[in-house]
Amino acid sequence: MEENYLLAKWLNNDLSATELAEFEASPEYATYQKIKTHSAHLEVGAFDGDQLLNKVLKEQKPAPKVVALFPKWLFRIAALFVLSLGIAYTMYHFVSQTTTAGYGETATLELPDHSKVVLNSGSTIAYKKWQWDTHRNLKLQGEAYFRVAKGKRFEVATSLGKVTVLGTQFNVKARENRFDVTCFEGRVKVNYKDQQILLTHGQSVTFENGIANNSITTESSPDWLQQEIAFHAEKLQRVIAEIERHYNVTITLKNVHTTALFTGKIPTKTLDVALQIIAKTYNLKKSKVAPNKIIFEGK
Amino acid sequence: MTNTTASETCNELVFSSFFKSHAQSLRNFLFYKYGNKDQAEDVTQEAFIKLWQNCAAVPLEKAKSYLYTIASNSSLNEIAHQKVVLQYEKNFAGLDRTNENPEYILEEKQFETKLLNAIANLTETQRVAFLMHRIDKKKYSEIAIELNISVKAVEKRIHLALLALRKEIDL
Repeated sequence: MEENYLLAKWLNNDLSATELAEFEASPEYATYQKIKTHSAHLEVGAFDGDQLLNKVLKEQKPAPKVVALFPKWLFRIAALFVLSLGIAYTMYHFVSQTTTAGYGETATLELPDHSKVVLNSGSTIAYKKWQWDTHRNLKLQGEAYFRVAKGKRFEVATSLGKVTVLGTQFNVKARENRFDVTCFEGRVKVNYKDQQILLTHGQSVTFENGIANNSITTESSPDWLQQEIAFHAEKLQRVIAEIERHYNVTITLKNVHTTALFTGKIPTKTLDVALQIIAKTYNLKKSKVAPNKIIFEGK
Repeated sequence: MTNTTASETCNELVFSSFFKSHAQSLRNFLFYKYGNKDQAEDVTQEAFIKLWQNCAAVPLEKAKSYLYTIASNSSLNEIAHQKVVLQYEKNFAGLDRTNENPEYILEEKQFETKLLNAIANLTETQRVAFLMHRIDKKKYSEIAIELNISVKAVEKRIHLALLALRKEIDL
């Protein structure tokens, strides 16, 4: 009865006559026979097949699957990419481009029409690239020199006044309440409050506290581009402020009560010479307390 | 039913006839395995729904093994198995109806109870094979296909089942 699974064969009525006779003679046969007979009359219980079939047939078939050539997320990423490119492009052209020259440095930038702007120390300029060719508007804080390419109106707005040109070279300086415009080439229209002045080359105008002051220059470009600053009847405090901006230093005045105006040039690359000029002119005692901290004291 | 193209399974008449010849034995198979009739019926229904929904992809000749595979992989595997509770056919009243000896009748009753207990105590694989043969009257070859094993393996399970049953009853 081993390995041949005789019991299984017997249950399936597959035993040969001799095998069967041998098995029937064994003592366990009676029980096996009872198991065989009884187990043939077992049942699980009612099964309502029809009801189940109806439920199955009612089940909706899912729509045939469509396999996309590219997965959906790829389109999303592509859309996002294009969108962000668009936003970046718009921002780049609509949002103001701002350039700042810190203390002790100048900055040069070229506008889309190849006009050139040189920013003096401690100045900021902003403009929009969008439709630059027809809307050449800039906002200036501080001082800058412009070499404007020929084209439509070129406008420089400052907090003090507005300068409009067609194509020229000019310098604009708007510091505190003094507004200087110098024209080196072409023609420049200057608006200051309700006044309007037309400058031709070599002319310069200064507005201070509402008073216009014309002067003539023989230079072909602003002095500060040649590493020096020229002052014309300037207050000492203004001269000091200009030096502070150019050298990025702090200058303190002690016991100085002069109202004498300064006219002359001060270098922008050699601090010691610049300080020497001020000390000599105003008869002041100069002391350097730190590399970037200077005190002028009245003698 | 001899034609075995994929679309045949999708034919409602063919499908219904296939259902009628296999639904109950699938239900029984799951019941032998897990011992819970309600869950066996739920899984049977699920398996046939899957077959119906995927009928285009399952040729009729493969539908049977498809069904049993789905049923075997069903969530029932996670559920605790219950004792298989069977019953006798209603018209079955012992071996010999003419013998009305009370002692004989009592012995028969005792045997029936012992047999049901012994079947419930069989290992899952032995019980499934044994009951498929005894209740569903399936051939060893049919059982082998449905369980995805060889005929020899079915014979071994039946053989071991009989050995175990006799030992427990004669104890």
